[in-house]
Amino acid sequence: MSGDTARASLSRRDFITTVSFSLLAGACGRRFDPQRFHVPQSSAVGLFPASSYAVDFADLIFRGFQELGTTLTGRRVFLKPNMVEYELDTVINTHPHVVAGAAIACRRAGAAEVVVGEGPGHRRDMEYLLSSTGLHDQLREQRIRFVDLNHDDVAVVPLQSWFTGLQELALPVTLLDSDFVISLPKLKTHHWAGMTCSMKNLFGTVPGAVYGWPKNPLHVHGIANSILDLTATIRPHFAIVDAVIAMEGDGPIMGRPRSLGFVAMGSDPVAVDATCARVIGLDPDKIEYLQPAAEFLGVVDASRIEHRGESPDRYVTRFDVVPALEHLRLSR
Amino acid sequence: MATNQTVGGRDPLTTRVDGSRVRSDLQSALLGARNRDGGWGYAPGRHSRIEPTCWAELALGHSQGRPPDVDPIRAWKRQDDWLVDVPGAPPNMAFNALAALTFLQERSTAPLAQPLISRLIQAKGLRYWQSPALGQDNSIQAWPWVDGTASWVEPTAWCLLLLKKVRSQSPRPEAAERIRVGEQFLFDRVCRDGGWNYGNPEVYGQKLWPYVPTTALALLAMQDHRGHPVVIQSLRQLQNDVASERSVVAVALTVVCLRTYGVATAALEQTAIELSAEADPGNLLGTAMMLYALTDTRDHAAFRF
Repeated sequence: MSGDTARASLSRRDFITTVSFSLLAGACGRRFDPQRFHVPQSSAVGLFPASSYAVDFADLIFRGFQELGTTLTGRRVFLKPNMVEYELDTVINTHPHVVAGAAIACRRAGAAEVVVGEGPGHRRDMEYLLSSTGLHDQLREQRIRFVDLNHDDVAVVPLQSWFTGLQELALPVTLLDSDFVISLPKLKTHHWAGMTCSMKNLFGTVPGAVYGWPKNPLHVHGIANSILDLTATIRPHFAIVDAVIAMEGDGPIMGRPRSLGFVAMGSDPVAVDATCARVIGLDPDKIEYLQPAAEFLGVVDASRIEHRGESPDRYVTRFDVVPALEHLRLSR
Repeated sequence: MATNQTVGGRDPLTTRVDGSRVRSDLQSALLGARNRDGGWGYAPGRHSRIEPTCWAELALGHSQGRPPDVDPIRAWKRQDDWLVDVPGAPPNMAFNALAALTFLQERSTAPLAQPLISRLIQAKGLRYWQSPALGQDNSIQAWPWVDGTASWVEPTAWCLLLLKKVRSQSPRPEAAERIRVGEQFLFDRVCRDGGWNYGNPEVYGQKLWPYVPTTALALLAMQDHRGHPVVIQSLRQLQNDVASERSVVAVALTVVCLRTYGVATAALEQTAIELSAEADPGNLLGTAMMLYALTDTRDHAAFRF
């Protein structure tokens, strides 16, 4: 991702807060400042097979890092899984084996520190979610720190794009103080946004103790707009998508499990999300937040996405969606 | 695992835990985690925030047989009369209601609640278009978490609780309509089998699940309707659901709620004691809530009207 080298010597909080001209640009009615962003000519996305949650995800994800040329030496990594609710036999959340595997893989790849953090948008009770999902035990076993982003200390930072019309947002300091953010979502259809993947997953970084449950200002200012502003501001460095068993239909909560059998990875979250959309039969050009994302955040055009691991064609599966989202389907 | 929120910290329990020792430990944990400004963060070493500070003051006050020390809240950062946690971020209505309830605990500090009550009476959630996906009345404007957003169960429950408490002490006529709307909202948002989710009872025809903490809070706000079928059903739902809960926040709120309704809580309190003995010392909100639930000597007067 462009700018990574320049940012490496600054904490994310410093980087974001020192970009003072952003407020001026926002006031001028622009949705983003093109000089602040660089869309690469091409982006690599890896799809790595995982037939079940019994596979060794630490090994799979570490090999994915290698194949994609990702180095984490000395980085303070922040892993952001997707945890919303818990109900037995549902697939709402990023599987704890994938979360723990990603954390171990980051350490193997040289990370100086790995922290897992999430701020669920529905369930305020993090203690309940951690224990019921089994993530608590997984993280304790690996001695990995977990931070409840809903209740973390926060810093108010200027937004780096202005689709919502908001100028600034309070974000958790643990996220801002890391220097390598990995979005670690569960792939799901989403009855409002079209799809939950690495970009929509960033809603969970917005602190509930400031904005409430759900993070309703994000809805009021437009879900797609909020996804764009959060992605532009947080600038996740990498995405790892749990698409081993995904969710179709009335996601992100009430949908049905659908096996896909892979983990998607890449340093361009837009390209990762666009690839996942195509796999589940949705047209990324019709997903409200992906189309503008192609202008400044990453690659959507399939011809500019290099595939590593397995071909996406192997996994293409037409997912059910709620009737209101039928228009998002890929044309045949 | 070190966490801000949850750690299985102590040795596994093999015998019945001593309740008085647990209460003493909870009290020590809170006192030891107090910030220099007199408040508490959500975790030790974190900045002081309204919610854990109010709960900690309520809990310590009751456990030490004195009124809550409201000095830290009295000195809190303000913005147009609202208490604010984070300058530049919007005031949180639920936590302002909790702060007002804390001020109301003592006659001498009750006047400090008045500006907050006035603000909260004026506040209301956005009126929304009717969505066919949601089986609810989006025209009801109860209370949002923050200004400029929709109404939700938790802030509505806190504000309703506050206004009913005020009504029982010194009625404010302008509050009556807001109480009516708040009740209308909670009756509208109740889940099909009783209890409350954080917001919607259903989406696209699929019923959503009630949560223990939001159900306990909503029932506290509706304690003057204990004969209403919705309240009776929700109380039953809460008692069923709490049986499988392992969260200190959920269990603590349920103890407070059930006691308010006159339901026997001895067994649940023993569960609460055992959970507290195992609980994360880094979860200061949970610690304060549990201390309040387990040691309140005035029958949870803060939330009774």
